[in-house]
Amino acid sequence: MTALAHITSHEHSGRVRHVQVRGDIDLANVGEVRQAITSALADDPTRVILDLRGTTYLDSAAIAMLFRLAQRLGHRRQDLALVVPPRSPIRAVLELTSLQTVIRLHDTLEEASGGPTSANPTGAGGA
Amino acid sequence: MTVTSRAAGWRRAITGERARWLVVVAVAYYLGARLGLLLSLVEENVTPLWPPTGIAVAAFVILGRRFWPAVAVAAFVVNLPVSEGLLPALATAAGNTLAPLVAALLLERLGFRRQLDRQRDALAIVLVAICSTVISATIGSLALAWSAGIPAGQLPATLAVWWTGDAMGILMVTPFLLSVPLFRELPSWPVRQWIELSAILLVVVVASSWAAQSLQVIFLSLPVVGWAAWRFQLRGAAPAALLASVVTTFSASRGLGIFRGRPLLDQMLALHTFNACIALTSFVLAALVSERNSATAALQQAAADLEARVEVRTAELSALNEQLETEIRERFEAQEQLTQEEARAKREHDIAETLQRSLLPPQLPVVPGIEVAARYVPATSDVQIGGDWYDVLQLPDGEVGLVIGDVAGHGVSAAATMAQVRMALRVYALQNTSPSSVLHSVHGLVSQLPMPEMVTLLYAVLDPRTRRLRVASAGHPPVLTFDAAGAHYLEVGLAPPVGVTAEAYYDESTHLLQPGSTLLLYTDGLVERRGTSITHGLDRLREAAAAVAAEDLERLCDHLLASMIEPSRVADDVALIAVRPQAVPSGPLLVTVPAEARMLSQARGSLRQWLRDAGVGADDETDILVACGEACANVVQHAYATAPGDLVLEARIDDDLLQMWVRDRGQWRVESDRGGGGWGLKLMQALADTVDVRRTGDGTVVHLSRRVSIGAQDGG
Repeated sequence: MTALAHITSHEHSGRVRHVQVRGDIDLANVGEVRQAITSALADDPTRVILDLRGTTYLDSAAIAMLFRLAQRLGHRRQDLALVVPPRSPIRAVLELTSLQTVIRLHDTLEEASGGPTSANPTGAGGA
Repeated sequence: MTVTSRAAGWRRAITGERARWLVVVAVAYYLGARLGLLLSLVEENVTPLWPPTGIAVAAFVILGRRFWPAVAVAAFVVNLPVSEGLLPALATAAGNTLAPLVAALLLERLGFRRQLDRQRDALAIVLVAICSTVISATIGSLALAWSAGIPAGQLPATLAVWWTGDAMGILMVTPFLLSVPLFRELPSWPVRQWIELSAILLVVVVASSWAAQSLQVIFLSLPVVGWAAWRFQLRGAAPAALLASVVTTFSASRGLGIFRGRPLLDQMLALHTFNACIALTSFVLAALVSERNSATAALQQAAADLEARVEVRTAELSALNEQLETEIRERFEAQEQLTQEEARAKREHDIAETLQRSLLPPQLPVVPGIEVAARYVPATSDVQIGGDWYDVLQLPDGEVGLVIGDVAGHGVSAAATMAQVRMALRVYALQNTSPSSVLHSVHGLVSQLPMPEMVTLLYAVLDPRTRRLRVASAGHPPVLTFDAAGAHYLEVGLAPPVGVTAEAYYDESTHLLQPGSTLLLYTDGLVERRGTSITHGLDRLREAAAAVAAEDLERLCDHLLASMIEPSRVADDVALIAVRPQAVPSGPLLVTVPAEARMLSQARGSLRQWLRDAGVGADDETDILVACGEACANVVQHAYATAPGDLVLEARIDDDLLQMWVRDRGQWRVESDRGGGGWGLKLMQALADTVDVRRTGDGTVVHLSRRVSIGAQDGG
């Protein structure tokens, strides 16, 4: 069997949702991941934390999806935060595509949940 | 009523009547004597027929010899007037009493039956009549000779006359008197027979009278008497004979007819001859006819008995037949019921087997780095199917999950439980890579089932790159590892089956497989055999596995099954998985998969494994996987717009130069149509040293190259 990724979604604290993806995200399951995040946003939280600590692979389709998502969130005043440890195998892809220019990257979950909610994400997560 | 009491009652009745019978006998004797004297040929001296002797014999036979006093008294009274004094009368009376007594005694000794219905009875009475009367004749003649002074020369003649008279008295009168009680004892006659007998007797009288008149018809009486004997036996013969005799003797005594003018001796001889003929004819014929009749009756009785027995037997046979039919019917019904039961059991067996087979992987996944083969053999018995399963899981980080389990119990419910446990385990295995944690989760699930079943389960996680194996077991038979050098069971912590105890902890052990060795996971059906211990079964499996260690996995599984179980008698289900880490590849990689999104991870997995086997470092691996993955994703997204096709990935390393080719045979859409924001090509260019896209008439080739560091670190 190929279970590419295991996706969980639950309320983290207050109006913060926590969506976790373990495994690979590629063309085959990117729609599934997007659906999970969209569902979490539908509850109208102030922030959605996309936890990619357990993510082992991320392709360009996922990057494109995240860019589109960030664009949408800007209109809705909702905050999306990514958790990607520095040693993660997907970190290089994120940096190469400059995703951090539109979505804040955090090294840890604590940082992502306790960080500022300001609308300016630029430079918030550096390498 | 007992014999004794009946005899006593009979005696009391007799005692009351004895006096009367004494008188009757005495009077009869006296009257018989008067009749005898009436028939005397010469005055009152020579009597050719002396009835009193016959009367006395009949009285003694019918009533008993105790009645002798009546005879004695009557004889004395009869003889006194005709004797010369008291003494001769007494002597004569004594002789007349003694002779019938002796006659009765002799008849008793000869076994005489007074019914006179046998030939021997007829002969007995003739014999007794001749013998016993010698006594009365001798005593009487001597008394007469002594008292009346008859000359000695006349004594034989006197004796002869006396003797013949007494003998004739017995022959003629005794049968008649014996026949009298028969009228009461034998079945009574209808009127018709009384008339017939009367007619016969009338004819006897007429015939006898006529015969006495004419010598020509002297024997005419014989057939008539014979007729009476034939028709009525003793009851007809005796009266007829007596009448014929009396009539003829009367004629002789009066000197009538044929007896007229004849000398006394001639008269005597003729009369005696006639009477003897009449007597013998009547008795013997009557006895013969009686015998024949009783034989016929006996035969009829026997026939009737036989008939009755046949009827009884027929009824018995009929009853037996009915019983047998009932039994056959009942057995048939039972058989029918059994057949329905069998059909139901067969249906359930089929359902369970279908369910079981549908739940097992239709084909094992192609997992980079390992070879795997599996078997499931259902139990041959109808009720023993279901509950065993195996599974092979490709885990996200390149490891392989190996599952073997056995739900206790059989049939549809066991198969259904197995389905739930199997699916749950797959989910748990993706959440957590620790076998002991997975088993703990499964335990929690099974414990919460409405009807918890006992499940033995073994879960192992194999990293094909390092051949590191982590195993946890819940009461399941141990894993066998073997190669051509030998076989041994892996030591795994003991724990109960899941679902049995409230709390459970499952040990996890780690093993390093030898290169080229094979791993065997199985259910107990493979090693259990009726009548032998499980230890023996495990030993057998170890020997069988070592013997086939060099075979490829499919043949290895077939050989193991063949040597461990009998296909015709599989007592319990058998499931098994054989796994063998592949030898490290040294050549280039070539992967061909359908160009579909779901196949991308498999292509990456193959490449990842190949890179690790080749000793490419982890940092390079990540970059290469992304670059190549993007090239592959492009093929999936853009190459085959109209018809499906294949994606071919080729890779090779020459020294530290890695080259990859991603090919398709499709027609790419124009670039403006493509989604994804163009990130794919950017990533490829960023992560590979060179990227070259070349379109040809029958497809596109993307060539990527990158310098890599080999053997810098391990595959982790």
